[in-house]
Amino acid sequence: MVVCLFMKLELKKISKFFPGIKALQSVDFSLKQNSIHALLGENGAGKSTLVKILCGVYQPDEGSIHLDGQKEVIQDPTASLNLGISAIHQESVMFDELSVMENIFIGNHITKSNRLVDWTSMEKKTIELLGNLEADIKPEEKIKDLSIAQRHIVQISRSLVHDADIVIMDEPTASLSQKEIDELYVIIRNLKKQNKSIIFISHKLDEVLEICDEFTVLRDGELIKTDLISNTNKDQLVTYMAGREISQIFPKKHVKIEDEIFSVKNLYKKTQFKNINFNLRKKEILGFYGLVGSGRTEVMKTIFGINKFDEGEVNFKNKNLNITKPKDAIKNGIVYLSEERQNLGMTGLMSVKDNINMAIMDKNSQYLILDKLKDLQNASELQEKLNIKVSYWSQLAQSLSGGNQQKTVIAKWLSTKPEVLILDEPTKGIDVRSKSAVHEFMGELVDSGMSIIMISSELPEILGMCDRVVVMYKGLIKNILEVSNTSSEEIVKLASGE
Amino acid sequence: MMNLIKNRDFILFSIIIFGVILVGIANPYFVKPSSLSDVLTDTSILIILALSQMIVILIRAIDLSVASNLALSGMLISLLSTVYPELPVVFFIILSCLIGTFLGVLNGVSIAILKVPFIVTTLGTLSIYRGLIYFVSDGKQVYSHEFSESFLALIHYKFLSLSFLFWVAVFVFVVMYILLNHTRFGRNLYSLGGNPDAAKYIGINENKYVILAYSISGFFAGLCGYLWVARYSVASTQIAIGFELTVISACVVGGISVMGGVGTVVGCTLGALLIGLIRNALPAVDISQFWQLAISGAIILIAIIINTKTEQRKDKTIMVE
Repeated sequence: MVVCLFMKLELKKISKFFPGIKALQSVDFSLKQNSIHALLGENGAGKSTLVKILCGVYQPDEGSIHLDGQKEVIQDPTASLNLGISAIHQESVMFDELSVMENIFIGNHITKSNRLVDWTSMEKKTIELLGNLEADIKPEEKIKDLSIAQRHIVQISRSLVHDADIVIMDEPTASLSQKEIDELYVIIRNLKKQNKSIIFISHKLDEVLEICDEFTVLRDGELIKTDLISNTNKDQLVTYMAGREISQIFPKKHVKIEDEIFSVKNLYKKTQFKNINFNLRKKEILGFYGLVGSGRTEVMKTIFGINKFDEGEVNFKNKNLNITKPKDAIKNGIVYLSEERQNLGMTGLMSVKDNINMAIMDKNSQYLILDKLKDLQNASELQEKLNIKVSYWSQLAQSLSGGNQQKTVIAKWLSTKPEVLILDEPTKGIDVRSKSAVHEFMGELVDSGMSIIMISSELPEILGMCDRVVVMYKGLIKNILEVSNTSSEEIVKLASGE
Repeated sequence: MMNLIKNRDFILFSIIIFGVILVGIANPYFVKPSSLSDVLTDTSILIILALSQMIVILIRAIDLSVASNLALSGMLISLLSTVYPELPVVFFIILSCLIGTFLGVLNGVSIAILKVPFIVTTLGTLSIYRGLIYFVSDGKQVYSHEFSESFLALIHYKFLSLSFLFWVAVFVFVVMYILLNHTRFGRNLYSLGGNPDAAKYIGINENKYVILAYSISGFFAGLCGYLWVARYSVASTQIAIGFELTVISACVVGGISVMGGVGTVVGCTLGALLIGLIRNALPAVDISQFWQLAISGAIILIAIIINTKTEQRKDKTIMVE
């Protein structure tokens, strides 16, 4: 055991204020050497502010930062890198059009004695780095051709190049499959062995319990608890984060499932998927599970009319549907909630009200003139029903928290009075409380007669919410299972192609 | 992916060769070495300006003021040369570059420091710089006989029977190639244009790069100020009017994405060559003036469609059949 006199990193009484918001209020945070430290909290708890302060993007209004016992000021991102702090961000901070090797060395290119960029050494070093991480990525591949898991590995290689002592990982597993997550864990544990300190941000408590050594919980910008992981359990963490006990994480309502309402037969799209056969019954929640990139989203986008399929048919209420564009699907009562809610689900610069009414503007208008009263009625009805937290109606959607944004998108689609609701990763990256609100609401929807297809990469969510689950692997349906009659092991096996 | 980019440049190159052959069949005089070398000479300024514009477009901006900058720098050194004809030509070239750089820095400062959007800034300086020419020249022209002999002699110098202008373009091409592919500065331009937010996180100072990119654009506009005035032996308020649009279309045809972060020096040069070819070939095959504009417009559009087609992302393969 090495006895450390100082913490690797210590934040003392850090505060950060934004107009009207106390993002962080006198927060203490200590990070030990070779330790994986979970930073937990609901969305808006202040985690990202803390990370941005460490990255030099924000300056704290109060408090001090100490590295190895030395007081430091991190005035900009460069300073942060020079101090050995490197962050693997949730949002893409990669350069899609540039090669893997360049993404690893960006801002830090190796140069020859004549100050020109040394491509040969960079390539050699890249192969070595990726080899150490056991990653099958070529240095000259472009980032836009990589999977999300591979992108994470490139980001990790980048922090290794910077020889960072502190690696911040902001929800690194959010969109990875179980297999990729396991591979990432190996890499993270290796980093720890190399005496690095890791700040691990995640909404998935199971993985926090599995991989982390310590934890710190923030709530509303304040420090709630910091302790060793071995001294806590999942329920306790949930309580710390939410400030109250959430007894039932998956409040599935029991509803009587009725007859088949929707079916897909022999759907085929070249290079994407084949032999897609499934049906959906009224009041049913049908799960779609599989690795990211197994074709789940592609199938749904095709059913919704965003992409065209080559062969097959889609039946709804015993009638063959000819869906060639999303408008056809919406007209028939089928809607799709995209996984990328920021990009494809809402218009951040429009108000919450306008976002909710976006899909029914033609219904709410007469002689091309919008009926503002109808708009408001519809919006307030749904806002109440979904409990969307808005301060005023013209509030911009982008200023909402992740959970409330997701509720806004759901409200938008509910306005169209759909019968089949396709949800693509509806709770990805939203906090525990919003998550259970979305789940509760799904239960109410099926109770009221709707049918739901839910794509999810979180197995507990699938097992907790769905009646049946369709497991996909490489564009094929491996099996359709009754959830009450299966195990998580069976589903994972099928999803990994076994 | 490398194949794809090579492909795009290759397509452009093929179009140029095909075009030359086609025009050659219609008018054999056009493919004589002497007239081809004239085309190259005629396109040299366009190549230089397209390459410097490329640097600005790479970081998601545009410099509309290049032609006005060129004309103002050209006019200022022309006026000076009529007063001090004994000064060496090198002095005028350096001065022209310095004036151009200064005008470019003004653009950069306005955009980076004063935060005036690039389109407003350079649209403004397009008019301001052009207006200043009237101010300094009183609206008068500087005619060929007013220039000193040495001022004009350099431009007529030939090496391997190719013009001075052409060799300057070759030199600029080499410099730009090294700058954008083999220096940190150049690579950081690509990252800044590709993802400005991410560039910030790795410590790239956006303001510094914006000012530098506009300075480079200004520098070459200044250089072309001398080249233009010397080549046509005239400086007037009207020179190179509207030329910024030709420069930008050369970039776009060359595959420089106006979304930033994408484009190659080779592609950009080929784009300029194609536009230069069109401008020279249409009169050579006796196409009436009325059609010339429409045809060059159509060819530019076709080139862009080909570019976007080759650029389009295909669906990722999920299922192997």
